[in-house]
Amino acid sequence: MRDSVASRVCLQIEGLCKRFDGFAALNDLSMEVREGHIHALIGPNGAGKTTFFNVVTGVLPADTGRIVFNGQLVDDARPYKRTLKGIARTFQNIRLFPHLTVLDTVMIGEHCRAYSSIWKALGDAVLHPPFGDSSTERTIREGAMDLLEFLGLAGKCDEKASDLPYGEQRKLELARALATRPQLLLLDEPAAGMNPRETEELDEVITRIRDRGVTIILVEHDMKLVMGISDRVTVLNFGTKIAEGTPEEIQGDPAVIEAYLGEDVQL
Amino acid sequence: MFAGLLDGYTQSLLTFAGIHVIAAYSFYAPYKTGQVSLGQAGFMAVGAYAAAILTQKFGLPFAVALLFGGAVAGIIGVAVGFPALRIKGIYLLLLTLGFAEIISVIALSWEYVGGAQGFRNISFNPYTLDYVVGIIVVLLLFFARIERSSLGRAMDSVHQDETAAEVMGIDVVRVKLLAFGLGAFIAGLAGALYAHHATFMDSTTFNIMLGVEILMFVVVGGGSTYWGPLVGALALNAIPEVLRALREWLELVPVEWTKAYPLDRIYDFLYGFLDFENAKRLIAYGVILIIMMIVRPDGLLTRDSLRRLRIRRWKVGHA
Repeated sequence: MRDSVASRVCLQIEGLCKRFDGFAALNDLSMEVREGHIHALIGPNGAGKTTFFNVVTGVLPADTGRIVFNGQLVDDARPYKRTLKGIARTFQNIRLFPHLTVLDTVMIGEHCRAYSSIWKALGDAVLHPPFGDSSTERTIREGAMDLLEFLGLAGKCDEKASDLPYGEQRKLELARALATRPQLLLLDEPAAGMNPRETEELDEVITRIRDRGVTIILVEHDMKLVMGISDRVTVLNFGTKIAEGTPEEIQGDPAVIEAYLGEDVQL
Repeated sequence: MFAGLLDGYTQSLLTFAGIHVIAAYSFYAPYKTGQVSLGQAGFMAVGAYAAAILTQKFGLPFAVALLFGGAVAGIIGVAVGFPALRIKGIYLLLLTLGFAEIISVIALSWEYVGGAQGFRNISFNPYTLDYVVGIIVVLLLFFARIERSSLGRAMDSVHQDETAAEVMGIDVVRVKLLAFGLGAFIAGLAGALYAHHATFMDSTTFNIMLGVEILMFVVVGGGSTYWGPLVGALALNAIPEVLRALREWLELVPVEWTKAYPLDRIYDFLYGFLDFENAKRLIAYGVILIIMMIVRPDGLLTRDSLRRLRIRRWKVGHA
């Protein structure tokens, strides 16, 4: 566990609401995520965790509420602008680019850091002799290869993304998100579909990402993983925050136990 | 350059085929970001009329008119691209189809450009084939560079999953608009070239079926690599010529043989069916499209087949 007093607030959420046809997916949610933390977001199915990710990354607009990232309001910024500001994510149902190779997939993530505008990207593409790569292209490739090595996928760089086994597709999503050089990384059930050995590996990978200075919000159903690596845990139920604290505090919280009652989960 | 080398028929044939190749690239550019447009014929019309107005009404040289035609089509392309951003799939098809119809109706009712009589006596440009070949070479180099660049990869990612691409920091709106505007610009060039080769056009010249044909070129050739539009447009333009040549060979077959085996009648049926000069070619296109969807849904050339070719060549080279 890290010292939670010293670090500053990375992401601040105030009064966030999101409704779908009268159903409140997020109901007046307020929370703080501190820099350098692994902050877990848990709750039963349908608690609003993925909606929370979609709203924070701008994939869905919030109905009301404020999202402050690094002291800046990001409410009305389009998703790519939030990525440029330093928010990255993975998807619960893997969303890779099926026809791209593993290396190309990660290079997509690097694109936004390499070129500040589409005209620069166009210029770099066209103002270069045919066949052969520009220097920026080589930098992007090296950065992507480093990330693939970091996640143990370097040997598969020429394979099609959709040909990878499930666990490695999840890792590839992680590499692609890291390629955008985020300060805040939202992981949506990264351990889903992984076997216990892979989950253990993932545990180590997430810790290493945190040690690189990336703040992490983790949505996960694997309670062993969550309680083992999180600095703080927020529990959602029906879009409302019902508890927040250290893993130890959460495990003893009667409200949390009641929310999970009837579910086969070992807190 | 080609004027002295080829007879008039061959030259005209190659010119129209080349204009079709350029039109195919105008479809390929937005398609690279996943936007399927049936309206490229409409952008060709915009380029054709804009360029012809410049040469005929203002007496400007063809090169200026060509660029002007492309630019006007490109600007209108970006304007059409904005509403097109919000819609996908079948709705985008309908929007682009509607756009082409609007252009056609404007051409029909605007007396300044001939209205129902058509735009007549456009100055003939004897160097059209040189322009066509030059533009195709530039387009090939351009798209070869795009395919090897980060921008090309970004376009591919937008094609495959827009939401994921946006979350990875790609400005999806700009990428799609750029691709759509670029496609319209290329179509405008093709239209301007057409106008100054055919010397006549009216509201039906750039009709919806031309839009469908342009789509066919890329579907047949393959939309996942920049060689696809070239191969598809050339292949489909070659079919009537190949049939014509076959017909001439069949004349050489002794008459007694054709009595036993009615080759000529079978052939006449096929020829009538596949003759791209008449309306039946649309049926032929339909048949080709269905066969392609079954046999090679990704087109004659795909990125994987090119990669295999490259690997084989590499192995041979190092053996």
